[in-house]
Amino acid sequence: MTVSPVGREVARVDGRLKVTGAARYSGDYPATNMSYAHVVTSTVARGTIRSIDTAAALAAPGVLRVYAAGDGRLRLYPLAPEFSFFGENYIPLQDTTVRYYGQIIAVVVAESVEQARDAAALITVAYDAQPPRASLADGPREPSGPTSSGELSSVTVLAPGVASIDEALAASEVVVEADFEQPVQHHAAMEPHTVLAEWDGDRVTVHAGAQMPTPFTILLGQRLGVLPQQVRLIGRYVGGGFGARVIVWSEAPLAAAAARELGRPVKLALTREQMFTLVGHRPHLTQRVRLGASRNGVLSAISHESVAERPAAGGWNMLPGESTSDTLYNTPNLRIKPQWVILDMPGSWAMRAPDEAPGAFALETAMDELAVATGVDPVELRLRNYATVSPSTGRPWSSKHLDECYRDGARRFGWSARSARPRARVDGEWLFGTGMSSAAYPAARQAASVRIRLLDDDTAVVSTGTSDLGTGAWTMVAVAGADALGLPLERVTPEIGDSALPPGAPAVGSGATHSTVPAVVAAARDTIDALKQLAVTHSGSPWHGANAKDLRYKQGRLHGNGRSMTFGKLLRALGSRGVDATASEPAGAPSGYTFHTFGAHFCEVRVNRFTREIRVTRFTTVVDAGRIINARAARSQIVGGVIFGISGALLEENHLERDTGRLAASTLADYLVPVNADIPDIDVHLLDRPDPHLTGPLGEDGGEVGTRSLGARGLGEIGTVGSAAAVGNAVFNATGIRIRKLPITLDKLL
Amino acid sequence: MNPDNDAGQGRSGVSRRGFLGAGAVAAAAAAPLMATVADASTAAEGEGLVTVRVTVNGDRHAMRVDPRGTLLDTLREKLELTGTKKGCDRGQCGACTVHVDGRRVLSCLTLAATTNGREVTTIEGLADGEQLHPMQQAFIDHDGFQCGFCTPGQIMSAVAMVDEGPARTDDEIRERMSGNICRCSAYPFIVDAVRDGQEAMR
Repeated sequence: MTVSPVGREVARVDGRLKVTGAARYSGDYPATNMSYAHVVTSTVARGTIRSIDTAAALAAPGVLRVYAAGDGRLRLYPLAPEFSFFGENYIPLQDTTVRYYGQIIAVVVAESVEQARDAAALITVAYDAQPPRASLADGPREPSGPTSSGELSSVTVLAPGVASIDEALAASEVVVEADFEQPVQHHAAMEPHTVLAEWDGDRVTVHAGAQMPTPFTILLGQRLGVLPQQVRLIGRYVGGGFGARVIVWSEAPLAAAAARELGRPVKLALTREQMFTLVGHRPHLTQRVRLGASRNGVLSAISHESVAERPAAGGWNMLPGESTSDTLYNTPNLRIKPQWVILDMPGSWAMRAPDEAPGAFALETAMDELAVATGVDPVELRLRNYATVSPSTGRPWSSKHLDECYRDGARRFGWSARSARPRARVDGEWLFGTGMSSAAYPAARQAASVRIRLLDDDTAVVSTGTSDLGTGAWTMVAVAGADALGLPLERVTPEIGDSALPPGAPAVGSGATHSTVPAVVAAARDTIDALKQLAVTHSGSPWHGANAKDLRYKQGRLHGNGRSMTFGKLLRALGSRGVDATASEPAGAPSGYTFHTFGAHFCEVRVNRFTREIRVTRFTTVVDAGRIINARAARSQIVGGVIFGISGALLEENHLERDTGRLAASTLADYLVPVNADIPDIDVHLLDRPDPHLTGPLGEDGGEVGTRSLGARGLGEIGTVGSAAAVGNAVFNATGIRIRKLPITLDKLL
Repeated sequence: MNPDNDAGQGRSGVSRRGFLGAGAVAAAAAAPLMATVADASTAAEGEGLVTVRVTVNGDRHAMRVDPRGTLLDTLREKLELTGTKKGCDRGQCGACTVHVDGRRVLSCLTLAATTNGREVTTIEGLADGEQLHPMQQAFIDHDGFQCGFCTPGQIMSAVAMVDEGPARTDDEIRERMSGNICRCSAYPFIVDAVRDGQEAMR
């Protein structure tokens, strides 16, 4: 009897490769006759390049090519309009316009890394510079773009007889008004974006980290002026994504175009410094949240306004009210109004919980302020305003156990021992405080195709062009395949991270797992059908001439007509290496429901009474993400997400210089991310309640094919939603000081 | 630093045009010399190179390297030992941590030319054949990584940390492992892994 690995503590199937250094990331592939590219970036934020002097670089030892902005030597093309969302709105090197500080304006290609880097430093540039638009406060403000489903991004829901949100607020017994500001944040994945491009005739193989391998070939193909099928993307191991590897930035088109022009493989690695301007960032954002409530904390109105940076070069459309104020609480009156200000800044993009994390910091801090204002316990306040249908659409949730997250979390954390009074708990020179928050993240299913091949050695290969950014997708595919086929995990070989595979689920929006597993189940069903067909039609088969309906597959064996045989033995008997089938599942989910993953965070901090040093000492998170596929990888994802939130609360900030338009931080010494000593143990509990409306093509267990992997929702981003608010609320409880401008640094508490 | 005409050149048989031709003779002369020489001395790259003889994961190499070349780039681009990762190239992230003469160093801040006569161990040299080093196994067992990009540096750092003197508390592990950034933020699991790996190394 094979026990399904679903929901168990499964070690990563790629673990051994990663601890031995054998896992190949994009920069780790060799190539014959390799050349190395180094990019040069602009040092003004807005203007025109008057001249670029490349003579010294061209004369430097080992230099093969210098491509400069406007020289027309590397031909690149625009994205088709329907794909323009997935890229910056200019084409690198095709003109002499400077759109932001840190834009690529030249590329040097040389025989060695050292030669390319040093030659790049010899290039000098003269600009006709203009003053950049570099302040969110200066405006002008414009309405943000539409939501991903094409709807207006502003939302107004008013109770009968209420004329405006202001009227609803004015009629409320208690009103909380709070203004928030969050700085530019960076994905700062450990692997700087690195591309190796190698042409063979009119086809190019690109090694790069990509969250969406198949769309990557479409986007890069458009940039290069070739068809997607002429581009192969290989990115089996990816050194972190967090959103920065969703779209195609400049490095892949430039590397591939240079390799085409030069006729040699080109490896282009961005430096850490260049990563801060060339691969997106979480936009600078201000928010105003107003809550109206009764004296006992029952909400009568939520107003959530925001103003986000919008880079002129293109970027993320910030909608911080989505899945926060339009989702978390029952309210008769709701107003969400997002705006943006166009600035001359590097292109921005989604960063882990792109709208939800910033939005939840504002809403969940305001809810804590409401708890203080009404004297209602923060957990009780959230339960009093518990939403059973979406406040904006009126639809029920497919599955929602957020109340259980609150109660479980409160119990695990010891919330009942808390004093609501700030500065109530002092231990030596430390003030202790606790805070909590809610979290929600949408669960949207993407299209995915999966191929399963049963082999004559009784193993199966499960192939799909999704991507593992560290999320555990390699293992998820193996677990889902083992479950569907009833095979031991070690007899299932996953294949991902390659656009030559069937198009897989994009690793975006916390959607890869629950988009992939239904297609794995469907592919298992179809492959078993194909195996049966082979068994009854092949003349060498013991079941030749039988009716396929009389055969039954179970755990790697075919049974029927008094016989039983493993698929491997059957295939060997027929002289066949394998049998396969490919199945596709569409995007979308059953209509009539709202789909979200939920969670609750509980945080304890200590703040030094004298220095105001802030340390997170305890953290508990309980998550309702439907079915859990791999308990170990799931816990790691939640812990990582929570630490992103802690980091956003206490450390991360890139300051935009108003005069120059330069982002001030460009290294990991001045853009702070947590180190080990910053982080305590983090207690994570996963409810593991399968979502009854995300069951996939077969519904409940169809008999032959395992379906325990169905009913999952995503969990890659939920940990980052609300965790910063839990930290800030704990800081308030410790100190009595409310900080609404992130990060919460000690100087703000003095 | 080893200028082109240093005294060692004759003994090792290293020449500007590469080692491969003379390598068989040299290898025969110096019995344990298992030289794998990267062909760094193409015409374009040949000027101003220096000779480095270094033992990497037990294999002796004689190389012609650019004096600007870091140990990190040399390992990755010349020796094709790509397990060592470049996360920042300025000594701030720890992804490039290797051992030089048993001590943990940042290979991005170490010029290859300064490793002449030294012993370098990278992540590829840690396991004993198929048998993983206990620290490698502990990182798998505790899920001490996600994307895996910082992992070679974390593990090399952890092994050296234990060799420097075992950590007595989890907080001490956190402190002494804080030169290695993990953006996926597997930190709590790295602490678990290092605690167990340390125990297994004893």
